[in-house]
Amino acid sequence: MLSRHAEDLFWLGRYVERAEDTARMLDVTYHNLLESPTTPEATAWSELLEVLYLDKTYSGPLQGRAVSAYLVADRGNAGSIVSAVGRARDNARGLRDRISTELWEAINVFYLDLARTEFVIAVEKQAYEVFRTIKSRCQLISGVAAQTMPRDEGYRFMLLGWLLERAEMTCRLLAVRYARLAAREEKMGFHAWVSVLKSVSAYEAYLKTHDASLDPTDVLEFLLLDQEFPRSVLYCLQHVERLYDQLEGPDEHSSAERAIGRVRARAQYCDIEAIVNEGLDEFLEDLQKEIYEVSNEIEEQYFRAGTDLQLHSYRWA
Amino acid sequence: MGGFDEVYDQGAIRPHYRMLMDRLAAIGNDELAERFGLLDSFFRTLGITFAVSGHESGLERTWPMDLVPRIIPADEWQLIEAGLVQRVSVLNMFLDDLYLGGQEAINDGIIPRWLIESADGYMREAHGIPAPRGSRCVVAGIDIVRDDEGTYRVLEDNLRVPSGISYVLENRVAMTRVLPVGFASHAIRPVDHYGSMLHRALDAIAPPPVDDPTVVVLTPGVANSAYFEHSFLARQMGVELVEGRDLLVDDWHVYMRTTRGLKRVDVIYRRVEDEFLDPVVFRPDSLLGVPGLLGAARAGTVTIANAIGNGAADDKGVYTYVPDLIRFYLGEDPILPNVTTYLPWEPDQLTSILERIDRLVVKPVAESGGYGIVIGTQADDATLAATAAAIQANPRSYVAQEVVQLSTHPTFVDGHLAPRHIDLRPFVLSGDGIEVVPGGLTRVALPEGSLIVNSSQGGGSKDTWVLNEGTMDAVPTR
Repeated sequence: MLSRHAEDLFWLGRYVERAEDTARMLDVTYHNLLESPTTPEATAWSELLEVLYLDKTYSGPLQGRAVSAYLVADRGNAGSIVSAVGRARDNARGLRDRISTELWEAINVFYLDLARTEFVIAVEKQAYEVFRTIKSRCQLISGVAAQTMPRDEGYRFMLLGWLLERAEMTCRLLAVRYARLAAREEKMGFHAWVSVLKSVSAYEAYLKTHDASLDPTDVLEFLLLDQEFPRSVLYCLQHVERLYDQLEGPDEHSSAERAIGRVRARAQYCDIEAIVNEGLDEFLEDLQKEIYEVSNEIEEQYFRAGTDLQLHSYRWA
Repeated sequence: MGGFDEVYDQGAIRPHYRMLMDRLAAIGNDELAERFGLLDSFFRTLGITFAVSGHESGLERTWPMDLVPRIIPADEWQLIEAGLVQRVSVLNMFLDDLYLGGQEAINDGIIPRWLIESADGYMREAHGIPAPRGSRCVVAGIDIVRDDEGTYRVLEDNLRVPSGISYVLENRVAMTRVLPVGFASHAIRPVDHYGSMLHRALDAIAPPPVDDPTVVVLTPGVANSAYFEHSFLARQMGVELVEGRDLLVDDWHVYMRTTRGLKRVDVIYRRVEDEFLDPVVFRPDSLLGVPGLLGAARAGTVTIANAIGNGAADDKGVYTYVPDLIRFYLGEDPILPNVTTYLPWEPDQLTSILERIDRLVVKPVAESGGYGIVIGTQADDATLAATAAAIQANPRSYVAQEVVQLSTHPTFVDGHLAPRHIDLRPFVLSGDGIEVVPGGLTRVALPEGSLIVNSSQGGGSKDTWVLNEGTMDAVPTR
């Protein structure tokens, strides 16, 4: 297929997942503040912005309404949810022949809803409801994609984007909640653990495999390494590896394949205890870097055909 | 008005329309109105819209299709078809002679060199670019009207990137849904094989010796008003719809960027205008084209359809000479006559144009889409004076034509049937031989008395039925 179509599908997946995870992180931060009032509000919001790499671009007050409005509805912010969904929609428009009509409609309608002024007002009044709505609309989109798209090359690229973004964002989500707290040597209470699990829809799944014990290391291990939970980092990376195998690239052992194997192995064989003791922050940062590397390698291999050529016959037309 | 009506001959329904008109009368205006509403939602759901030019906001209208189909009997169609094949083969010959051959028509004084070389669409850069099988007008849209006598006349040739074929196909689909008729079975010639017709023509003009050519459709992108048609055609042919950035030229070959690396491209059905095709040769600021594309075309490794520079032959001034070109190249008389046209750069003709400007139609030679046309009988004095001044200042930029009182056809307007003026744009394909799609796009001027049928100027369209030989009538059922 055309590189442009593959790339647009890849980023379509990424943008939708990014919108969903941004809503999830907003949600966690809100709950964090509600349940552990010891954390200063300004600190919590600036940490969130930092994790999203938006701390340098945001100049408003560090409080819930302003930051939420910035992250949800600010079109001037390229990292906002409305921007992400807008870009997903731009991509989908150029892919009308490649994606199902249902998928196009789901994305288009979501964007049109987000762009309404009532929505912007709702962010201020009922933040929690808004985050929930965004999450469920993103899930609707991924569900529609799963139900209506043929499992061809294009679908695989879309899913690759989706999963890589999710793996990266789960790392970031953990960073927001965990690593920063650890750095301040704060202890998280029972409710805090529940909320972090709930924020990635993992609470019930966790309980089923771990009885009712909420051991911090177990929670971390679950979100990083669980083989069955679809938002765990390892689950995403293993899925990425399978999808990549199905793409049947020209190289037997490409650098993308090696990068995928490396980061999957790093996650799979990590020693949680050691990580917790030696520095979770650093580990999550490295993991994110390697996931980013995988994304780069895939883009290089599939989306950049011909860019390295020294083109001839330019001058002689 | 006393013009020619397609359906009524002095009050009596023409034989080939009897069944249809009976059926429509039986259905009644109320139900027709209901079905008319279905049409709009049919096109809206499919997203079949077009952009109205002159509105910077990108205003979109749904495609306005009329409920009453236009019927062309087999014998009339045979005449049209023969005339179109004759005309397009000569246009191909003339263009190939101009850009690749010995320019015989010019050298023999059939058409003035200065006229060709001053045409907007003439491209000096196109000289020497080969066109396999001499098929330069791979897709031609020839606009045909009927005068007072019912004679079919060619009004305009469109040889660059004519659009509208997707509406022909969609109109037929919409018609079968909204007004189910028995036409699919035997009486009416189908149009839904257009995709394979086009694909066959494009395969036939691949650069030799390619035998399984890779064909692509090149579009300016989603922002283009005809993007729907571009993507429609790519789908109908099962080929990639590419933008300029998807292609590159290396070592005089064209490639597309795919997830499996670079893939050779042999034929480009382009819907990008000449000046935007290659920034190395044409507009350097254009991002729609491919740098080096003309070099590859000249090297003969890729065929660009339609060929570059076709605008030399569809200029409204050059149009006047097409009947002479038919006599010159084929030694035949034109089967389809032109509309009588006057050329302001000929001093005696200029005088009579200025004298009779209130009874003529003045057209800018380089415009299309119905823009800039002044109909003398309908214009006020100030407009006529301004037009006269413009012609005198710039005679090469205008032609004047006798007003053709386009034929009328019953059309569903405001809840009942009323006569409205129509034209016809058949589509002619040149590949290995010349084929005409049965029918074409019938455009209808919806405002009462209007002669401007272009969709950008408030025109609508009709499904167009060409009857099979031996069929006197189309039989609609409920």
